[in-house]
Amino acid sequence: MKCEWVRENIVLQVYGELADDARHELEQHVARCADCAAELKAEQEFHALLAQDRAADATPNLVAASRMRLQEALETAKQGSFFSRLAFDPANWLRQVKFSPALASAILIFGFAGGIVTTYKFIPHSTTGIVQGPATVPVQTSIAGIDSISQDPNTNQISIKYKAVSEEQKQGSLNDQDIQQLLLYAAHNNYNSGVRVDSVDLLAKRSGDLQVREALMYALQNDTNPGVRLKSLDALGNYVKDDTNVRDAVLRALVNDDNSGVRIEALRLIEPVKADGSVRGVLMALAAKDQSTYIKSQARTMLAQLPEID
Amino acid sequence: MAGQERRIDDTMLIREAQRGNRAAFEELVRHYDQAVLRLALHLTGTEQDAQDVYQDAFLKAYKNIGNFRFECSFYTWIYRIVTNLCLDHLRKRNVRKEDAPVAKDPSGGEYDLLDQVPDVRAGANPERDLMRRQLGARISGALEKLTPRERMVFELKHYHGLKLRTVGEILQTTEETAKNTLFRATQKLRGALADMR
Repeated sequence: MKCEWVRENIVLQVYGELADDARHELEQHVARCADCAAELKAEQEFHALLAQDRAADATPNLVAASRMRLQEALETAKQGSFFSRLAFDPANWLRQVKFSPALASAILIFGFAGGIVTTYKFIPHSTTGIVQGPATVPVQTSIAGIDSISQDPNTNQISIKYKAVSEEQKQGSLNDQDIQQLLLYAAHNNYNSGVRVDSVDLLAKRSGDLQVREALMYALQNDTNPGVRLKSLDALGNYVKDDTNVRDAVLRALVNDDNSGVRIEALRLIEPVKADGSVRGVLMALAAKDQSTYIKSQARTMLAQLPEID
Repeated sequence: MAGQERRIDDTMLIREAQRGNRAAFEELVRHYDQAVLRLALHLTGTEQDAQDVYQDAFLKAYKNIGNFRFECSFYTWIYRIVTNLCLDHLRKRNVRKEDAPVAKDPSGGEYDLLDQVPDVRAGANPERDLMRRQLGARISGALEKLTPRERMVFELKHYHGLKLRTVGEILQTTEETAKNTLFRATQKLRGALADMR
């Protein structure tokens, strides 16, 4: 078993990817095992052979030609429209959900578990329209998406598979796990900013929960509504001192947010931790280059209050 | 501090580009495009294909920069776009079963591009150049035997020195999967080049 582990990790050792403890273990084993020592030597020699072949840099001519060609194309290229930014991006949403198994479960329970996969068959030119369908038509259904459309060449019958989602309601207290998961979902995904503000407002009462804090940081960084971002900032303010992730999120808001109110609030929140190295670095950049006179002067004032670094 | 300033600069450029500032986007391109071109050139083997990948990658980035949410670094994001384009290229090439990269000279004759890579290192001599080109051709042939995914992991790790954790982020998989893929790739390459050691 040990030799097998060593053989699988020799290539990582050669590329410097092993953790220190694993590297130590491997070295200890190789010192005692002739076969593994030979394998390590062979891998090192092979690595040295490969190292003679390098990926060449692009020539300056190629770089220049590529840049010119891109510049020409950019003159007529269009960025994604405002509405396409608001549009639901399933791939991106799925990437977020995969890190939140509880959220994914909540969605299955409340959202897509309510979906119905239905097949309707239509005969073209028929006056009756729908020939076959589910036994009962659910109330307040809406079509969430069409999965497939096909036509039978023999009968000309068309088959359409689609998903329908039904509206449901859940009631409970803030301590209810299902309610919390729905609030997290609402904070991430709802198109109605009022709903997002309400969800963030409620979630703020549970900002001690790490999952909630992550949702608040996400809203601070990504929500298009400055009111939602301000609410998230308020909720996260108590954790700037103890949670470095929160501190970094607040710093990012200070640097990147396009709303001056959010930036000023972020600046106020990092004041107690201004001595932190990363905070100091950001303050120095803001004091030198920020476009807002107020933020520039506030950053300078904060820096002036700090002791000199030896 | 320099690294942090660069990150703040990139962040500001991205925000400006998201507001439609094309000059900001072009500046952002200049921070990354040589690395992108080097990757595309080595993977595709031809300057034309590398330029096409470069063009497609940065146009895609320009059109979608509004969707960039700072959940990862711009470096990871742009590399992800480039590697996906290169993977498509490798998969199409596997289907067509093309051989070593070639180009046409003005008279219409074909020549192996690998013969044209100039050696600008000090102290290069013809015999060593020839051996290096032969080695390069053999390695290139061995790399063709890897699956596109194996080739990409190996390329990013070996030729571009990225940490496997970064490779995993770029390919949207785990570090563990990247490690296993690297192991499989190197085993295959050792087998293919066994006679050269």
